[in-house]
Amino acid sequence: MTALVALTERQVRASVRNLDIVFAVLVPVLTFVGFTIGLRNVIDTGGISYPQYVLPAVVVQAMLFGALNTTDLAAQEKASEFGVRLRTFPISVYSPMMARMLYCLIRGALALIAAFAVAYPFGFRMDGGPGFGAMFVVLSLTLTLALSFGAEATGTRAKRSDTSSQLLLIPQLLLVLLSTGMAPVESFPTWVQPFVEYQPISQITETLRGFASGHVEGTNLTITLVWCLGLLVGLGYLAIQGQGRQRGRRG
Amino acid sequence: MTVVEPRRFPLAAESAVFAGRLMTRWRRNPLVPLQSLLFPTILLIIYYMLVSKSMTRLTGSDSLDTVVSMCALAGGMSGSLAAALSIPSERDNGLMSRFWMMPVHRASALTGTLLAEAARTVVATVVITAVGMMLGMRFHGGAAAALMFVAIPVLWVSVYATVVIVVALRFQSRAILTWFSTLSLGAVFGSSGVAPLELFPAWIRPVIQYQPMSATIEAMKNLARDGFAVRPLLLTFAWILVIGVVVGTIAMRTYRAAAQSGG
Repeated sequence: MTALVALTERQVRASVRNLDIVFAVLVPVLTFVGFTIGLRNVIDTGGISYPQYVLPAVVVQAMLFGALNTTDLAAQEKASEFGVRLRTFPISVYSPMMARMLYCLIRGALALIAAFAVAYPFGFRMDGGPGFGAMFVVLSLTLTLALSFGAEATGTRAKRSDTSSQLLLIPQLLLVLLSTGMAPVESFPTWVQPFVEYQPISQITETLRGFASGHVEGTNLTITLVWCLGLLVGLGYLAIQGQGRQRGRRG
Repeated sequence: MTVVEPRRFPLAAESAVFAGRLMTRWRRNPLVPLQSLLFPTILLIIYYMLVSKSMTRLTGSDSLDTVVSMCALAGGMSGSLAAALSIPSERDNGLMSRFWMMPVHRASALTGTLLAEAARTVVATVVITAVGMMLGMRFHGGAAAALMFVAIPVLWVSVYATVVIVVALRFQSRAILTWFSTLSLGAVFGSSGVAPLELFPAWIRPVIQYQPMSATIEAMKNLARDGFAVRPLLLTFAWILVIGVVVGTIAMRTYRAAAQSGG
């Protein structure tokens, strides 16, 4: 356990130096302010105000953005001499990865706090009360962990880390902007509506919005849970397998 | 004693060689074409799908021409930033100093970079505009207006690349470049292109109205719709000229200092 704590502390300190954690906090703030100012009067969200509507999308976007940086982090750590050195230590092979994941959760929690802090003055309210609020946080962090496992799995396999994380930016943009997290499904052209309605980000943001308002639809909650837990298990398996594969590659 | 007079080439030919070097690099490491072509094209399609219906409801037009202008500018800028990521290491590993010592005109490395940036933006803007035309954008102002439509992002990106070079050389850090890209994309999407000015909160309207990207996007939109709108065009060229002259001077000094100090 102490190895895990020490390695996590190292990640947090490094992230303060290389500004990763600063970006993690600023990305939700900037995207929220940007979307709200730019699209507040453009997109018709019916009865609910745009800040209330868009916050879940901002949270999910921040988690995806964090995961992109984790891809680079995992790739660098693996390639560095320090990563090789760690494998000679009397600690679990998995503890460097667990430390990175723990760091991702800390970063995700900070991003979440930043998102709430900026959205509150714009009129966002957790109307569902503390119970639903807690579920909002738990779901967001589960998603963070699942995506970070995915990033870890990608980063340890990627040959050219700078390009791979940039390439992943495109599907990320596609999923976030073409989701009901940004605009109700009727605002999209008819032929793209089926995709918009059923893609995972739409389902997840809808659940989060439901948690914020205190009304969650059963089907939607089930779909979201299947996606999140499925991603968590699937990507978690790939990430752990990637660690095993690393052994004995160098040195 | 024989004096070997080095062969002199015209500046243009030397710049072309430097530009060719960059293009070879971009072909091998596809980050730059990715950022300047794929990213804006996909952004165009996605963003258009997101706002087209809402914009039609609000303004009566789907403002595809505005979205194309924004994506052309955003793509050119993010391409310049991706290209600049290699500058700090080229300075540190001495390549820049090596170029400085070669018997070529000393401006040619810099003009070569700008030439490559401009060429890349021509290709990217033509592709983005073509995708826009596939989605239904039309030029009602004639061929000259269409040419000018492509020329504006090219001129902007040439100036912008100069700014990026200065930033990359002065601050020696990749994080600064990421910040700079956030700021630039913010300028493109925090402009009167994204929504009519009246729809922004009153306190931020002056910033949005007078920032350079608003005039540029306005000018490009007019070029697509009904030809040359004098005021935004003049404003755009004034911005390009002023930033170009000021930053161009700084860039030459910064480049000289960097090239002479490199290891």
